[in-house]
Amino acid sequence: MTQPHNLRLRPPRQRIDPRARRWWTVQALVLPAGPMLLVAIALGVLSLLFFPGALPWLGPLLLVVLVLPALAYLLVMPTWRYRVHAWELGELAVYAASGWFWQRRRIAPLSRVQTVDTVRGPIQQAFGLATVIVTTASTAGDVKIAGLSDADAEELASRIGAAAQHVPGDAT
Amino acid sequence: MTATPLPPQPPVPTAEPAWRRLDPRTLAVHAAWLAAPLASTGLTALATGGRLDTRTWITLGAIASAFAVLTLIGLVRWTRTSYRVTTSVIEVRSGVLTRSSRSIPLHRVRNVDLTANPVHRLFGVTVLRIGTAGTADGRGELSLEALSRAAAGQLRAELLRRAEAATAHEPTLSTLDTRWLRYAPLTFWVFGGVFTVAGAAYRFLDDLGIEPWRIGPVRAAFTAFGASALWITIPLALLAITVLGSIGAVVVYAENWWRYRLEWTDPHTLRVRRGLLTTRSVSIADNQLRGVVLREPLLLRAGGGASVRAVAGGLGDEEENRRRSALLPPAPRAEALRVAAGVLREPEALLDRPRLVAHPRVALRRRVVRGMVFAVLPAVLVLAVLGALFTTVLVHCAWVLLVLSTPVVVWLARDAYRHLGHGLHGRYLLARSGVFSRDTVVLRRDGVLAWTFSSSPTGRRAGVVTLTAAVTAGEPGYRIPDLAEDQSVAFAHAAVPGVLAEFLEPVPPGPTR
Repeated sequence: MTQPHNLRLRPPRQRIDPRARRWWTVQALVLPAGPMLLVAIALGVLSLLFFPGALPWLGPLLLVVLVLPALAYLLVMPTWRYRVHAWELGELAVYAASGWFWQRRRIAPLSRVQTVDTVRGPIQQAFGLATVIVTTASTAGDVKIAGLSDADAEELASRIGAAAQHVPGDAT
Repeated sequence: MTATPLPPQPPVPTAEPAWRRLDPRTLAVHAAWLAAPLASTGLTALATGGRLDTRTWITLGAIASAFAVLTLIGLVRWTRTSYRVTTSVIEVRSGVLTRSSRSIPLHRVRNVDLTANPVHRLFGVTVLRIGTAGTADGRGELSLEALSRAAAGQLRAELLRRAEAATAHEPTLSTLDTRWLRYAPLTFWVFGGVFTVAGAAYRFLDDLGIEPWRIGPVRAAFTAFGASALWITIPLALLAITVLGSIGAVVVYAENWWRYRLEWTDPHTLRVRRGLLTTRSVSIADNQLRGVVLREPLLLRAGGGASVRAVAGGLGDEEENRRRSALLPPAPRAEALRVAAGVLREPEALLDRPRLVAHPRVALRRRVVRGMVFAVLPAVLVLAVLGALFTTVLVHCAWVLLVLSTPVVVWLARDAYRHLGHGLHGRYLLARSGVFSRDTVVLRRDGVLAWTFSSSPTGRRAGVVTLTAAVTAGEPGYRIPDLAEDQSVAFAHAAVPGVLAEFLEPVPPGPTR
């Protein structure tokens, strides 16, 4: 390629709402961390009551297989996600970063935008958060911005809608 | 980027090109049959200590006179055979007593095959076969035996340049050649087909309440199988499955691709018609066409074949799309290249050995590691643990497996890495990846809807990302794995200018990462 390799993609400028961390924690508790911990506790109690002899090997096994992964996920994922997630609405394109362990940065030109959806799940509603989904003609082109405050989401949705109308394009 | 409807016309040679001869080494090739009797005579001479009896002398004399006669005939034929390529036709004159002269209009030349058997290869010559449109039964074929490799390559280039220029006018891109059926056994259906049919039969019997294991003959067969010498019966069973599967694959191929025809019904509509019992006809408007994929799965690639799929919107969901986007069944690679180029209305060189940018060296390491961690080590570990618990035979199996499979993994990884690449070519972007199923994707740059840069923790440490181009087609996105970070940005930025521009920043000087 003739392009000089001296450019890089900077992170999007806008951070998401800090409350998203709590939202993700609750979500992680519902699935999968909560059930994992419950199973571990139930097995531990049952074994203590009926098969105390099994504890020496069952205890460490439960700890390694269920308790530690669940706690790690619960503690690490929300903060890590919060560090990664970001978004930006540019002149010509919308840009979002997401993920934690596996990360993703996606850029879709406004000329390709088909619809802008705002989605609020039950847990999100409790925290006053929303997810904006900018759809294009391909599922691999949909830009999802999770964890925005309600007000930000409304504003962003209308701005993208307006911007998409000003940028000419056939959206296919 | 503006579209160029036709490749630039090659310079037209002078009006009366000279007649050219076949390669003189052809005579030597024709004399190659002498090797067998001479070798046997030589062995006799060795066995008898160098003394040859009268019979041997007579044999030698017969061989010598046959050689003289045949060489003379060959020499005459060689002097009387010549060919030339004019602006519009290729002409071949041949024949000793009855002179014949054939000419084939260049715009009818569809493919040019170069084949060389081991004797040809020994003498550095090759047979050139010219296939034409419309005739699948061999009548339209013309072959020149034999040319030097350089002359054959040059002639092929001359013929195909014209053929390419003609493609744009010729509405029919390809029709089924029954010889393509030989590629059928190189598909999934060989083994998958047998097991699918067996599974279906079992399910059917099961539904009827019959347990196949209880049927007398079946049980008897299994008992006999178990009692027999396994080192004979297992290869035999595998052979039987392969033969059955190959027959099944040919049947499936024929059912899917009989009367196959790919053509432009009008300048803007591409149509595929095919099928024996179920006939299918799929039309694709060229404004829905985003590109093509040249597919070369491992087995098919080993057999020199490839198939072609369209990247197009409006063909239904992913499942539908998989069935409807096929443009060419498994066929010779040259045919696949020709069809792909014809569909895109680009010169064939676009896909044949495209100039691709290599990915960073670390991608090779990642492939080796992936193969070892996900394929080899689990099996080795399981064997080793079982071996430690039960029998030392399995421990030996474990290390033998490790020693044998490591070079295979490295070889596959190297093959994958060597063919990993991406590039820009006019209005198209190209990407190639995969080892078990190697796909070369050609996408229209203006068809890219969005770019995704994804990275895993190990990828971030190695400084590579996977770039995905989203397009409106059955397959939602096309992945370009393991690009260097700056490479991915530069590529996406160059392929679709403008989209990324506002989110870029120069890399700060100093140590990166």
